[in-house]
Amino acid sequence: MNEKALQILLVEDNAGDARLLREMFSTEKPGSFELTHFMRMREAMIHLAKGGVDIVLLDLGLPDAHGLDTVRRAHEVSPGVPLIVLTGLDDETLAGEAMQEGAQDYLIKGQIENRALPRALRYAIERHRMQTEADQIKKMQLQLKDDFLSHVSHELRSPLTAIYQFGTILADGLAGETKPEQQEYLQIILRNVRQLQSMIDDLLEATRAQTGKFVIETQCVSVSDAIIDAANTLQGAASAKEITISFDLSAPVPSAFADPTRLRQILLILLDNAIKFTPRGGAVKVQAQMYGKDPTRLLLEVSDSGCGIRPDMTERIFDRLYQVTNPALAGRKGLGLGLYICKELITLQGGEIWARGTEKEGSVFSLTLPVFSLDTLLGPLLRNRGWPAPWVGLLSVGIGSQDGWLSKEKRQEWSRAGRTLIQSCLLPNLDLLLPKLDSAGGEEVFFVVVFADDQGAAVIAARIREEFGQLGTFTQAGLTLSLSYKFLGPTAIDPAASFGDTVGKMAARLVAQLKSETHTRSIHGE
Amino acid sequence: MANKKILIIEDDSDLRLGYHIRLKANNYDTFFAADALASMTEARKHEPDLIILDLGLPAGDGFIVMERLKLNVHLAAIPIIVVSARDQRENKDLALKAGARAYLQKPVKDDELLAVIRQLLGESVPTKDEALYDLGPI
Repeated sequence: MNEKALQILLVEDNAGDARLLREMFSTEKPGSFELTHFMRMREAMIHLAKGGVDIVLLDLGLPDAHGLDTVRRAHEVSPGVPLIVLTGLDDETLAGEAMQEGAQDYLIKGQIENRALPRALRYAIERHRMQTEADQIKKMQLQLKDDFLSHVSHELRSPLTAIYQFGTILADGLAGETKPEQQEYLQIILRNVRQLQSMIDDLLEATRAQTGKFVIETQCVSVSDAIIDAANTLQGAASAKEITISFDLSAPVPSAFADPTRLRQILLILLDNAIKFTPRGGAVKVQAQMYGKDPTRLLLEVSDSGCGIRPDMTERIFDRLYQVTNPALAGRKGLGLGLYICKELITLQGGEIWARGTEKEGSVFSLTLPVFSLDTLLGPLLRNRGWPAPWVGLLSVGIGSQDGWLSKEKRQEWSRAGRTLIQSCLLPNLDLLLPKLDSAGGEEVFFVVVFADDQGAAVIAARIREEFGQLGTFTQAGLTLSLSYKFLGPTAIDPAASFGDTVGKMAARLVAQLKSETHTRSIHGE
Repeated sequence: MANKKILIIEDDSDLRLGYHIRLKANNYDTFFAADALASMTEARKHEPDLIILDLGLPAGDGFIVMERLKLNVHLAAIPIIVVSARDQRENKDLALKAGARAYLQKPVKDDELLAVIRQLLGESVPTKDEALYDLGPI
């Protein structure tokens, strides 16, 4: 049988070494190997990029590439081609590192036996083929598992819906009155339905995390609001176990740049765990502060007086499906996906999470999140359009009440409605409605970065006023609208400055203005 | 005053019965369709005040039903609540774009469903909690 010749690419700058290696193939069957030799990386890369090479023999000391960099570059051009590195006698550490970078094998020059080289090449190619195949199978299996899980979770929801529906029909007495004992049992059914439901949700979330389908929408988020909200949600579960949830929000904490729904989800998972693993009468605490001296990051901590974590387990608990086995806490605990989901969500938002704990004295879960900064928001807008205009200003739109104080309920309602309405008055990508900022006081305030002068801003302001005026529910609810515009003047653009610096400078001016505005407003409201 | 009419489009017969009991108890008249074809027939026949729609249906899914409803001048304005086991992260926006006024995830809570129904039928003034349900642009 006539096999196709094996295409070998030899990259070796020492002509003597190259000749020696070439000679090693001379005893092989003619036509079974074909050797192409280059002295430099640049030429070798061009040859590699053309394709058709079966294996690369690579010297790590070339005139135009050195050490591991050589391996990386070869891999970049042709990730699917196996590679053997050639090293000198004293380079075994480097050779080991090269293997880590993806080289199949290494050969020490001067120690290669005559017949060994062709054999080593064949082995390397075979090993590489098997590895690639195994990787593909693994990938396919993962995809199958994900499809399966998402199908199963969906199918589980339908019968669960029926159980829940009829459970509540009985509990609400729609099919006749129930005795107290029956009522109690129905509540047990419904409680378990909810538990099953949250497990299904977790299963779907974990599947999404694995396939990289998490959707994260970052904005300016008040960390303290998120903490208060999460604590309120779980107050019932905590009280049932006589556990106190406390939070210390005395120190001012800047807003985070995160996804509010995801932040809430993260806090709920951590608090829920803390309550679950803390015995009756214990305490759970949430804290937020700056992360050491780093002005770009926030630190959130959830600590409890519960059963703690063994120090050697602090990393494993974030693994998928990992569960703490603790006989003292026998009973159902869920699927062991919560912390895994947490970690994925935090990583996607540019933060980190870790745990520490002793075996008996409770545990602390710490997470970091990026601090909200205007640069991040202005950047893409300015980059997309170049500089919209040399002028920049800040338009603030306040929704207040005729009574002077906007109730919390009204404020929540209009925070969302107002945002939608204002956004509809702006041209997309031309002016920037800033994410909700923390503003104390009697008004709900929205800020718009306007790239226009006084006249341009007046047009936008008039449009907003008109839209709100046409909204019957707005005036009927006794709400008032206040608009103010602060022109920050033209921005001098230094052609020598980098894009980042220029954006930073503009952001700083806006932040200074925002600070003075939110400050005056909060004083006004007090 | 005559009871408001609600058309329930759901292929699971248990769930249809469940909706019926719950809605009847709240003084709504219910009508049913178990697939996409029957949906249109029933909708034309009864011209309901509101439609509860499942997404996974035989003979064409909920999106097709919405598309057909929106093409019919007599039916286009009927508010639709999608109640589905399909994940809302992937389907909610699609459903709202297709013309649904609300998207609820199965298993849906009864008080939640009833609150949205009342709001869409204009039977109650929205309170702060109901603002949680996305009823499309104001």
